[in-house]
Amino acid sequence: MNAQRLLYRDTISKSIVWLLAVPALLIPAIVLCYIFWQAAPVLDWGFIVGTADGAGFGITDGIFAQLLGSLLLAVMACVIAAPFALGTALFYRTYASPRQQRLLTAMFNMLQGIPPIVFGLCGLVVLVNLFAWGISLISGAVVLALVVLPLLVLNTLATLERIPLDYTEAGMALGLGSGTIIWRLWLPRSWLNLLTGLLLAMARALSETAPIMFTATVFSGVVWPDSLFSPVTTLQTHIFYLAQEGNDPQVISIAWGSAAVLVLLVASLGLLARLLHKLGEH
Amino acid sequence: MVLKWWLSASALLSSMTIVVVLGFLLQSSWPLIQQQGAAFIVGTEWYPFESLYGMLPALIGTLWSVTLALLIALPCGVAAAILCAELLPQRVRSTVRFAMELMAGVPSVVYGLLGIWLLLPLLESQLNLLTGRTLLAAGLLLALMILPTIMVLSEDAIRAVRQSQREAVKCLGIGWDATLWRVLLPQAWPGIRVAALLATGRAMGETVAVMLVVGSIDRIPEPFYNFLQPAQTLTSRIGREMAEASVASLHWAALLFCGLMLAMIAAAISLLTHRKAAAV
Amino acid sequence: MVADLTAADFLQASQQSPEKPSSNIEAAALQVESLGLQLDGKVILHGVSFSLPTSGVTSVIGPSGAGKSSLLRCLNGLLTQWSGTISVAGASTRQWHGGWDQLRRHVGLIAQKPVVFNASIRANVCFGIHGWRQRRRADELVEKSLQQAALWDEVKDRLDAPAVTLSVGQQQRLCIARAVAIKPGILLLDEPTASLDPRSKQLIEQSMQQLAKETPLLCVTHDLEQAQRLEGSTIFMCDGRVIEQGESKQLFTQPQCIETREFLRWSVCDCN
Repeated sequence: MNAQRLLYRDTISKSIVWLLAVPALLIPAIVLCYIFWQAAPVLDWGFIVGTADGAGFGITDGIFAQLLGSLLLAVMACVIAAPFALGTALFYRTYASPRQQRLLTAMFNMLQGIPPIVFGLCGLVVLVNLFAWGISLISGAVVLALVVLPLLVLNTLATLERIPLDYTEAGMALGLGSGTIIWRLWLPRSWLNLLTGLLLAMARALSETAPIMFTATVFSGVVWPDSLFSPVTTLQTHIFYLAQEGNDPQVISIAWGSAAVLVLLVASLGLLARLLHKLGEH
Repeated sequence: MVLKWWLSASALLSSMTIVVVLGFLLQSSWPLIQQQGAAFIVGTEWYPFESLYGMLPALIGTLWSVTLALLIALPCGVAAAILCAELLPQRVRSTVRFAMELMAGVPSVVYGLLGIWLLLPLLESQLNLLTGRTLLAAGLLLALMILPTIMVLSEDAIRAVRQSQREAVKCLGIGWDATLWRVLLPQAWPGIRVAALLATGRAMGETVAVMLVVGSIDRIPEPFYNFLQPAQTLTSRIGREMAEASVASLHWAALLFCGLMLAMIAAAISLLTHRKAAAV
Repeated sequence: MVADLTAADFLQASQQSPEKPSSNIEAAALQVESLGLQLDGKVILHGVSFSLPTSGVTSVIGPSGAGKSSLLRCLNGLLTQWSGTISVAGASTRQWHGGWDQLRRHVGLIAQKPVVFNASIRANVCFGIHGWRQRRRADELVEKSLQQAALWDEVKDRLDAPAVTLSVGQQQRLCIARAVAIKPGILLLDEPTASLDPRSKQLIEQSMQQLAKETPLLCVTHDLEQAQRLEGSTIFMCDGRVIEQGESKQLFTQPQCIETREFLRWSVCDCN
């Protein structure tokens, strides 16, 4: 086989890979830069902490209310989902039979694949209308909790699986019950990783729009929800509404600003999770 | 005892959610099925005011946008994964990977904003279209969204190919392209397939970004491969019309049926992913 | 069975010997001069020099960490950061026509642990052949290579079975067949029988002896008895240096250096 042709073939396939890969790597980077470039004019401290007084419909003032609503929803979703996720994962590791384990894994993989908007629909039918909670903070939080539940469960399972078997067996050899093993062996060892999972779930909850669109949010006029049963405004839906707000460049630049803040928020949660994960490995 | 009770209860409750979700969707869309049979699923007309609830336009729209997205994102994403795993030096690789992981977390509404104010004007001016709101726009935007996922998962799969295998191929001196085609890709294929299936699920269920750029016109493209026309997907239809439909009307039931179909397709995809993953 | 083989070999060898000039006169198949290698700032090889005759087995023995495996990886270009000269059939490997890939086709390497590709037995044997059409029509070559690797009789009925279903010993012979199928000029073996059962060991040694008639073999081994059985010549390496090189019989019975004597007696060495 002649060597020259082989070299050509190598070069050709390498250039094809480069040709396909470079746009795949560059375009996301360009897009990210574009967001911040568009957001730069409005992005300052006043924009973040300013509150809309209602008259401006969130257009002229800052996005503090929206930021608050987003964070509130995400935190509440995680708070609701966490005990169930932890309980389910621990059940999987302690009491579940192999059949139940298979069933649970299949269930959560399926649940993870279901589009978030489906949960939103279900929340609308069950929580908003059937339970008559209305468009409210609690409806949105429960729906988001459903969205992040499979993520949390699978993450917790992966964390628990990383605990070596002999570590657990050493505890069992001392005659410890499963409760003691969980509290004294598993949780102290893996709480950092569990926290990582929680942060990732929060990032996920922050980036979902569809499920809360018709279960929790209104466009404007709310700064701090009075109760669990009153609606909120969120960054995600704020961007969504502003994006369609026609041609006022001022409005669009506020949308870009909100988008940049949201991206930064999600990215910093991701970064924090990564740091914690690294810390947990040592 | 309390512990056991808590664990079992939470496991039971959380695994019940999927049944509950599907059950409520079915129950709420039941009136439509009762009234119109199952024929509306393949109907081509969607006019809520005349009680015509044909699902076919949205189904085809969903299929088209997902296919377009995969056609663009899969080759590019896998190529980027190969570049990252095989050709780039270690330091560049970890930076690129980290950036990609961040990109995978960018909220979909941000992509929607990008779509409406960057992609649509671009398409209109470049392709000389009346409106940029087309299936192509949805496909491109979805491709951008699923690209990081595909790339990150494929890179994992490629790097999981053992070093000894790479060396064994090197010893046969059959060149880099043969290594790629005959060893790396075949061995990483199960992982890449899972990545593609997950990305398909995500692209199909994406709502906000798609509904901002797809045009939301309930029409089967004419001819059916014309992706430069406005169209509708299952998700964009739900997003557009859910707020308008009055509670417990037929329209409402039809929209919930859209959701049920989404859920069932997604469940099928995830079963497929799961089974393939287990078989590896 | 074994006796038969050796008798046939003997016949064949005696037929060939008049035509082939003795290896001392012909140019060396492999010539290594002052080969040095550093990995991560650590010196692995200090100026190794030796040469291989155009046929026959050359065993390399020495304690762990003597740089034996690294030596092999330099010879076929898996490691390229070495200094000195390596020439194969009179040509420097650095300026090899077609680059390192082509060199590796000429200098085959069998790893310690068998690495089979996730494909059928037949496809594994043909893996190094260019072009899928050629691979399709390679039946004769497959048979010949598998026979040379002493594996043909065991797998001839299931050439299309996945290669991973073979036992480890069979996999190792499959790797030999795969390397032989591209007709290398030199074959390097890195402890080919280290983790195998005695029967596989025996078969591989037979196969090596058969191959050695046409191709020079350089075999790194921990097994001193194996080095003796393989005859040919032996190189004793320690701490990245060649301590002694000579005919196996002589080296094992009358070692010249004190280090070699120590090593042969105790399997340890004080060089480092």
